[in-house]
Amino acid sequence: MSFNLFNTILLFVSSGFLIFLSLTVIRDNLRSRLNQVTGAMLFFAGLGPLFLALGQVINLSTPVYLNFEDIPVYNLNRIWEVFFPLLLLFAWTYPEDKLRYFRYRWIKYAIFIPPFIHILVLIYYDSIVLFLKFFEAAGTSEGLSSLILKPLATIFSWLLILFSIVRTYHAEIFYFAYIFYVGLAVYNLKTSLEHLTSASLRTQASVVLRGLMLSLSILALTLIGFEFLTADYADSLFTVGIILSTLVGSVTVAYTIIRYQFLNVRLVLRQSFVYTISYSILVGTFVVLIIKSREIVEPLFGQQTEIFGYIFIVVLLLLFLPLGNWIDNLIQSIFIRNRTDYRNVLERFSRQIISVLDPKQLREIIRETMQTALLVDTVYFVMFDDSVEEYVLLPNERFSKKVILARDDHMLSAVNTLTGPEYLHTLGNYGYDVQLSRELDERNVRLILPMKEGEHLLGFLGLTDKAAGYRYTSEDFNLLRVLSNQMVTALINARLYVESIERLKLQEEVSMARQIQLELLPSAPPIFDNFKISVHSEPSRTIGGDFYDFIHLKDSRLGIVIADASGKGMPAALMIAQIQAMIRSEVNNNIPIAQMLKNINEQMTASTSPEKFVTLFYGELNPKTGEFIYSNAGHNYPVIVRADKQIEHLKTGGTVIGAIPDLEFQSASVRLGPNDLLFLFTDGLSEAQDENEVEYGEERIKNMLCEQLHHDPENLIGNLIKDVRAFDPTSPPRDDTTIIALKMNHLNR
Amino acid sequence: MKLSDRIENGIVIMEPKGKIMGGPDATLLHDKLHEYLENEHRQIVIDLSKVEWMNSTGLGILISGYTSLKNHNGALKLANVTDKIQSLLTITKLITVFDTYDSVEDAIASFSN
Repeated sequence: MSFNLFNTILLFVSSGFLIFLSLTVIRDNLRSRLNQVTGAMLFFAGLGPLFLALGQVINLSTPVYLNFEDIPVYNLNRIWEVFFPLLLLFAWTYPEDKLRYFRYRWIKYAIFIPPFIHILVLIYYDSIVLFLKFFEAAGTSEGLSSLILKPLATIFSWLLILFSIVRTYHAEIFYFAYIFYVGLAVYNLKTSLEHLTSASLRTQASVVLRGLMLSLSILALTLIGFEFLTADYADSLFTVGIILSTLVGSVTVAYTIIRYQFLNVRLVLRQSFVYTISYSILVGTFVVLIIKSREIVEPLFGQQTEIFGYIFIVVLLLLFLPLGNWIDNLIQSIFIRNRTDYRNVLERFSRQIISVLDPKQLREIIRETMQTALLVDTVYFVMFDDSVEEYVLLPNERFSKKVILARDDHMLSAVNTLTGPEYLHTLGNYGYDVQLSRELDERNVRLILPMKEGEHLLGFLGLTDKAAGYRYTSEDFNLLRVLSNQMVTALINARLYVESIERLKLQEEVSMARQIQLELLPSAPPIFDNFKISVHSEPSRTIGGDFYDFIHLKDSRLGIVIADASGKGMPAALMIAQIQAMIRSEVNNNIPIAQMLKNINEQMTASTSPEKFVTLFYGELNPKTGEFIYSNAGHNYPVIVRADKQIEHLKTGGTVIGAIPDLEFQSASVRLGPNDLLFLFTDGLSEAQDENEVEYGEERIKNMLCEQLHHDPENLIGNLIKDVRAFDPTSPPRDDTTIIALKMNHLNR
Repeated sequence: MKLSDRIENGIVIMEPKGKIMGGPDATLLHDKLHEYLENEHRQIVIDLSKVEWMNSTGLGILISGYTSLKNHNGALKLANVTDKIQSLLTITKLITVFDTYDSVEDAIASFSN
């Protein structure tokens, strides 16, 4: 009695466990065929012990001994035998889906025929026998109908014999068929095991295989024992053997599922537990409500309204499904938070990243999305770093060290071949010697999500297990695939943005430098009645440091500056601005020109680095006397072309300004007479080049000046520029080009 | 521009070739000069015989080398200045700043005086 009770409880528990497991496996991923098949298999495996336990319970509770085998409907419990074809189907689906390659698709349905025939034979045996016997009897009578019925009767009598054989030996026939099923499943698993390359999948599949082989041997032993043992022991041994074999097979599968890949065992148990409790409460409440419906409805509608009682029950039944769904969703929201609406995740993610162009911020959003939407524990980034031109494993809150990966890392090459998310172990076993493998192993990375722009790997994410140990479902994989595409787009956008910003910055700097330069230059040369000044100034594309200025001094004298700062762009423009400010403040101190240049040099040397300097020519013209006092600090020699075409160079001064401290400068004085030309220029003019890199040179300039001397300064410059452009048509000029031409008409006495 | 350099009797001889026109290779000359300076080499000769041309950036590098060495009680001397560079140095009057020699040997010898 106590043994029976223990036995019954054990059967109940094992069947309950299997059925819960089956439901959870199916719920885990409704759309996956592996989950469907495994779930169904576990469910039918759970039905076996359940029916057996129920039978025992009825036996225990009914005083009169009943032979259930005699009640035909009882044989419906044989439905659990569907387990065997499902096992075969499982072997065809796991570890790889082989059904896709099947030539005859109907096979997967055909394997379900035997268990159903078995049930039909057992349940309807009596009716079939009656039916067949009727025709057999009809065949023996005389008459017209016997002509047709006679041959049929022979067939039917044979069928009758066949059925009675099947009925008598049904156990042997069908269980041998099932042994064949299990054997075939084992064989299939064994062959697919040989093709497996992934190490963990191999261990997993071999455990399943061993379990099934054990199950097969138990089944075989049971059937052999059944044949040779005496009838008393045989029956009970038979039942126990079959159930044991089923249990071993399905528990192994369940164990593997839990232990290796599919699910987290604590989650399964917790979830199953909560499902059971909540559904028991729900069903219990419903049962109570329906039983008590009369008592609830009567006070409301009075005794006569029996119809309301039925309506109440119907309403309750209609409410059952929505309530069940609601509880379902509630439990899922507690346990499986990853079932968030993936469309929302995607929508939010794309909305967030569309405005983010900073790579670091972008990575932060990606990390956040992975952690909140997919419950990924930690996200690691491997990105191509332009500064080191290698892939780099970026640091995060757990690993603060940045790891630069070797270009020929074996595992990196393997990642490069991936097109979508993949478990790390499927890449193969790289061991501790391979840097990337070692680093990812240390970080417990489980999943690799490559980010590819066409064939080019921008980088990849290394995802650890999910926070609560949930496995990645096929929905997760789909989401990751889409996310990775979006990440690639965002990363490319960010890169393009950075490039365009840099280009813009450069353009801005160039235009600002140009602006500074232009604002520093006088808008028009001053006008005097006894001499004419004309200026031509043309900046190059890259902005050099040309500068000129006219300063009105006391006694109506005119200060003339021409200068060329070394270097280009902003630094040159700023240096020029500095020089201009210094000159303008120094000239009013009424100190000699040489001293003024010395002062400027001291200030400039102190404030700029030695490789930056300015060549500068400064002169003061007294229009009354034609006296021109000047000092030349390393600038191209200005030229005086006398009215008789004699040429003088204005060399006196010192070296360049702003690089060497403690320099002395000299000044000199010349006198300009009527029709004398003072010509100042920067090296942009003399260094203009033709296609053979021959410079225009100072000789050509002097020749042109002599030739054009009769022109006023404006036309003279115009003609000179025309000649230079004919020689070197580069536009804008290679270097800043500045020309000042001053021609005396007469002296103001 | 290409640059070769060697040390003879503790004196650094640098031989740039081509055009010193700014950009990355001009920076090389600058960096090399300052590298020697940091490594306590205070006597440097720049052989300009193979320099075709230099612009203001090139001049800037020479000037900066000159002043830096001078500040560390060293000296930068130029040897084999070609006519073109000579005229550039003349116009800018840097010829009055730099010590120039007709040969590397003369420049080296000048250090022992």
